[in-house]
Amino acid sequence: MPAISAPFPSGPWFEELVARATADTGAIERLGIAEFRFGMEIVLPDGTRPLFGLVLDGYDITAVGPMDEGTFAPELVFSGQLDAWTEMIRWIEAHGPADSAHSLNGLSIAGIPFEARSSDAMGSDKFYRFMGTLQAVFDAAGSESPVPVGTV
Amino acid sequence: MSLGLDLSYLERSARGEFDLGWLRDTDTEWGVRAVPSKTGLTMRDIFIGSYGEVPEHAPLRTMAPRGSDVAPDVPDMGYTINDKSEVWSDNVLDLYEEAVSRQWSATRDIPWGDLAPLDPDVEHAMCQLATVLSEVEMVAADFPAKWLWRINHDFVEAKMFLCTQVMDEARHTEVFRKRALANGGGLGKATAVVERFLQLILDADSYDEGSALMHLLGEGIVLSLFRAGAALAPSPVEQQIFRLCMQDEARHVAYGTMHLRYRLERDPSMAEDFHAYLDKGEEIMAMIFTTPEIVEPTAILAAGSVEAARDLGAAAGDVLRLQIVGDYLKRCDHAGLDRRGRLHLPDAIVQGVPGAMAGAAA
Ligand SMILES: [Fe+2]
Ligand SMILES: [Fe+2]
Repeated sequence: MPAISAPFPSGPWFEELVARATADTGAIERLGIAEFRFGMEIVLPDGTRPLFGLVLDGYDITAVGPMDEGTFAPELVFSGQLDAWTEMIRWIEAHGPADSAHSLNGLSIAGIPFEARSSDAMGSDKFYRFMGTLQAVFDAAGSESPVPVGTV
Repeated sequence: MSLGLDLSYLERSARGEFDLGWLRDTDTEWGVRAVPSKTGLTMRDIFIGSYGEVPEHAPLRTMAPRGSDVAPDVPDMGYTINDKSEVWSDNVLDLYEEAVSRQWSATRDIPWGDLAPLDPDVEHAMCQLATVLSEVEMVAADFPAKWLWRINHDFVEAKMFLCTQVMDEARHTEVFRKRALANGGGLGKATAVVERFLQLILDADSYDEGSALMHLLGEGIVLSLFRAGAALAPSPVEQQIFRLCMQDEARHVAYGTMHLRYRLERDPSMAEDFHAYLDKGEEIMAMIFTTPEIVEPTAILAAGSVEAARDLGAAAGDVLRLQIVGDYLKRCDHAGLDRRGRLHLPDAIVQGVPGAMAGAAA
């Protein structure tokens, strides 16, 4: 599976990621319903912090942004330096679904290189509740369809 | 007790003399046409009109469906939880749907065939952690099951959610037992301190007390252990196990947090009761943080070997403890219970062990 052609970070990059992840609608449905506004912040070398979003709504997943955090109103923001983002994505492109060390969970559990920040407990608990769906979206950077439950 | 058997009804109905009282004289809201939303017909979709009205105090103690026309001679089921605020949470309908939709199978959905031999110490660590988890998971089925039959049927959506929790915990018990027995290891040690915490939950005098200890505190700890397990997983097999369990566990915690919030919003005077429950729970929580059967396997999984764990383990323990305590305090905040000033945890647990991070960097 070739790498996503759009530059990272950009709206088209996240849109293509989601298009890949949702190509197999049956696989997405097996992951189950979700309701979550997940913010993704990329800290660029010049200090700017573009924010993109994933909106999980039932079985639908939509990529939005870049946009203002106040407008998007994320329930949680997953934030890291550009280098950390590109390293995570390149690893998935090269090896397929993220191993524990390159997963959204593994990369944020210690607060470095990614921080998962939310203003209240519901945001962080939703990050945990929908981790499989979120990871399936990112795993699509390296494969045509997500690796959901229910297919083994 | 007379059941009022009326055999003459058989003769009348055989002659075509139907009663039809249920057809003509039923006093319920009629003409209801719930509209499915885009994922199907959800519990929220049918939470409409009079059927979406949950009484603050249940007027009857029957199993009659809420909104039905209840015969005057129904027996009293003896429910002891008859106030909505004792079990309700604003997210309980959605959590039920989510739970049903996100079920998985520990037989089918874990790639068991991909298990590979591990370093013996790492396998031991994984098996010890699996032993503890297989031990603690079932209390989170036993506790709701103990209280379910005492909860008034008018709060059926909360009961249904607790049923999903019972199923979730059965699967968690199953998956960790399977993991312990699937890769050349076996079960490890069960400890008294863990059992004491489980006993505290199971023997709680009220649902309030047990729910605070379990949904908020205990399952919060387990959720963090699942997060750590997924991050430290030696193979995709354990990563999948812990990730799927984490998703379920976070639902249980989300219920516990929002239930406590609902309870306190309606009766702020209960805050002191909940503080007292959590005072007790945190004391045992501190003991769990100093239990080798939990701390050391986690450190070994983080470091990759016993030797490496001696250097890295304390830092890994700090990360885990700080995350557990941080998430717990955040949940208490969201529920409306400020524990920051009265946390019953020693400084070494709240702030980390002096020098631990330096050890990791060395
Ligand atoms: Fe569990
Ligand atoms: Fe649980």
